[in-house]
Amino acid sequence: MTRSSQQRLRDELVASLALMAAVAAVPLAVTNDYWLGVLIVSMYFVFLAGGWNLLAGYAGQFSLAPATFAMLGAYGTGLLAYHWQVPAWASIPAGILAAALIGMTLGRIVMRLRGPYLALTTLSFAEIMRIVIGNSYDFTRGDLGLSVPALTNNRLVWYYVFVATVVLMQLALYALLRSRAGLYLMAIRDDEIGAASRGINTAFWKTAAFTLSTALAGLAGVLYAHFSSLVSPELGLILQTGLVICMVFIGGIASLVGPVFGAFLVYLASEALREAGGVQLIVFALLVILIARFFREGLWGLARRLLERPAP
Amino acid sequence: MNALAARGIAKSFGGRKALDGVTFAIDYGELVGLIGPNGSGKTTLLNILSGHLVPDAGEILLDGKPMHGMTPVRAAHSGILRMFQLTRVFRRMSALDNLVTAGCALGLEFGAAQARARELVEELRLEHVATLDAGNLSGGQQKLLEFGCCFMVPPKIALLDEPFAAVHPTMKEIMAEFIRRRHAAGQTVLVVSHDMPVIVELCRSAICMNAGVVLAAGETREVLANHQVIEAYLGGEAA
Amino acid sequence: MPGQRVLNIDLFVNGLIMGSFYALMAIGLTLIFGLLRIVNFAHGEFYMIGAYAYTLAALKLGLSVWLGLPVAFAVGGIVGWLTERTLMRPLYAGYASWGLMKDEYAVVVTFALSLLLINLVDKVIGPYAVRGPGLVDIPRIALGPVMLTGHKLIATIVAFAMIIATALFIRYSLWGRQIRAVAQNRLGASLAGIDATKTSSIIFTLSGALAALSGALLAPIINTTPDVGSFPAIKSYVIVVLGGMGSIPGSIVASLLLGVLESFGAVYISYDYRDAFGLAILILVLLLRPQGLFGEKGREV
Repeated sequence: MTRSSQQRLRDELVASLALMAAVAAVPLAVTNDYWLGVLIVSMYFVFLAGGWNLLAGYAGQFSLAPATFAMLGAYGTGLLAYHWQVPAWASIPAGILAAALIGMTLGRIVMRLRGPYLALTTLSFAEIMRIVIGNSYDFTRGDLGLSVPALTNNRLVWYYVFVATVVLMQLALYALLRSRAGLYLMAIRDDEIGAASRGINTAFWKTAAFTLSTALAGLAGVLYAHFSSLVSPELGLILQTGLVICMVFIGGIASLVGPVFGAFLVYLASEALREAGGVQLIVFALLVILIARFFREGLWGLARRLLERPAP
Repeated sequence: MNALAARGIAKSFGGRKALDGVTFAIDYGELVGLIGPNGSGKTTLLNILSGHLVPDAGEILLDGKPMHGMTPVRAAHSGILRMFQLTRVFRRMSALDNLVTAGCALGLEFGAAQARARELVEELRLEHVATLDAGNLSGGQQKLLEFGCCFMVPPKIALLDEPFAAVHPTMKEIMAEFIRRRHAAGQTVLVVSHDMPVIVELCRSAICMNAGVVLAAGETREVLANHQVIEAYLGGEAA
Repeated sequence: MPGQRVLNIDLFVNGLIMGSFYALMAIGLTLIFGLLRIVNFAHGEFYMIGAYAYTLAALKLGLSVWLGLPVAFAVGGIVGWLTERTLMRPLYAGYASWGLMKDEYAVVVTFALSLLLINLVDKVIGPYAVRGPGLVDIPRIALGPVMLTGHKLIATIVAFAMIIATALFIRYSLWGRQIRAVAQNRLGASLAGIDATKTSSIIFTLSGALAALSGALLAPIINTTPDVGSFPAIKSYVIVVLGGMGSIPGSIVASLLLGVLESFGAVYISYDYRDAFGLAILILVLLLRPQGLFGEKGREV
């Protein structure tokens, strides 16, 4: 990667870390458990948005199943604890692994498909998983939801667990994207046939991106499961995936900071507007359409242009 | 032993024979022009040589060894690199990153790839646009860039599909000069082109195709004097 | 066992009936896919809008139910037309310079449109379920061993009539022939003087109108809520894939097949998983034909 694009990536990392530093400072001012909870759920979406952005924004593969893999991760750790009393230190990594393995298997299969076919297949997978989990009452307790051991009831502990994990994810994504892997993913996104002709093993890298993105969704799911101590098939609703897409597009697709910013903005706004009568999704959907139609880079792109303008 | 050879390559699309037993050979260090009227099968042949299409029959030999189960990725790693008629640069990556990507994909270390990319940018006179997204480059600059991508790691053979089509004369000259210099250094190249004067000037030998078969191969002037070749071109124009 | 046979006939007929509504839904999606090679993820919302238009026209405006059908058809058509006008244009004009690739743009924009329409209706009309009045008030008609409500029988007849009319329109009318020409070769058709943009406009209008009509016909049978379109939409995706991606006769056959399959599957395999059968088939079909049923490997170079 050349200096200018490395610089750009570093700026994005710094911006996202600055944002997380601000988030880390919030408990100094806000002690309200409700709003801390809202911020924790926002960070749950940061993982989903970050993972989907890696897959869609950098590798160009538009999956419609990010929320499904969070659900799978959450049920992974939840079922191990519920049926076999597996302790959390083992069930949490197992849940992430389960989501990643299912992701890798699905990825290997669907990565032969492109564009609308990929979207359709992942959407069908998402619906099947939700139907199966929602109807297997004996195993998953279906729509009733599954209770998961809460490791601690201290909100602040959870808050900083989420903050620290988000920071780790950002650093890991940064390292990945500035390595040759980042170049290969972007090459595949821009022209798959061209990438293969240059000798890039497109099937391998696409599957790798899919697996990583599902592992991040699984991570989000297991953390959420133990935080909320209840998981339900609603985690895998298509609407949740819709929210993730809104977050990534509004924040700025194909940037490190955009999805983080977008997740906080969209989730906080939807909580704040809930009492104002639930117009939030209308606004978000409209914004996504406008951004996709006229200005692909979202709010981060807008900010960057404003910042770059003074320099000659 | 030849650098690249094809034996009896055949390919049909839905009953229509695009290639009907194509056989030729290219020696090491040769710069060969592949000519022929529209629809004669040149691009299909190139797609087979670069692993984008699987032939119905026949085989391809690289360094005298038959290549089986060719895919574009395998072709690239065995040293067959391809430039497309409609450029396939990575539009949302900078021109330099395009080159670095191509280098890394064929095993260059990061630092080495960057150094090499800078050399090529200079040689192709792309310095002033090197950090722009490739999608924002002009058509000719994109062709130059794709050119560079093919030569990040010198290939065993470079397949160039219509590099001179719809390109500004200045850039055409940069490209021709680039090819000549590589050729002088021993690079093996196959150029597909409609631009007869460039082929005559650039390539000592040529292969002429028509209707899916090789009409004539050998020294360029002899190939062009071949009465079948003349007929094919005149017939092609009349049709 | 005669009871078994009666049940089977009943399941078969009811499957065909559901299939006819699916077909009405899927034809529009098929046309769009055939022409632009994109999937409209907001297709279910055209259905939802039709169901509301019919129900509200009858209940709030006091219109005759027979007028409700053309109203739904027209409203769906307008929404389809607007969708094409406002969102689809970048797909055919210079999207090469577009930041997003064509496929991804279409996925995101139609997905967001679906979200927008669901929540707009939720806000404006309300999240509670409404049910439209039947076309006729006959609770039971016996068709041999099969018992149907009068509405279901008439709705099925209307659905089949519209399917046949649409197929004839595509096959024989001037516009229909233009649509087929553009689907086969966009550039060639435009060289021959066919306005490719106008044909896109026509199929989006038609697609919206047919889906809305399907929603109107089912409004007295299925409770209408803002998200009622999601399942019919998913069925249409299955049908488009099964029916050969862009083929109208193929999608009609696939619709009837899916209706019958679900009808039997719900009884003989599992009621809870009835909605998953079609999806599983969709995944299988896509995987066995990796390029999609119409993909032409390697020729895009």
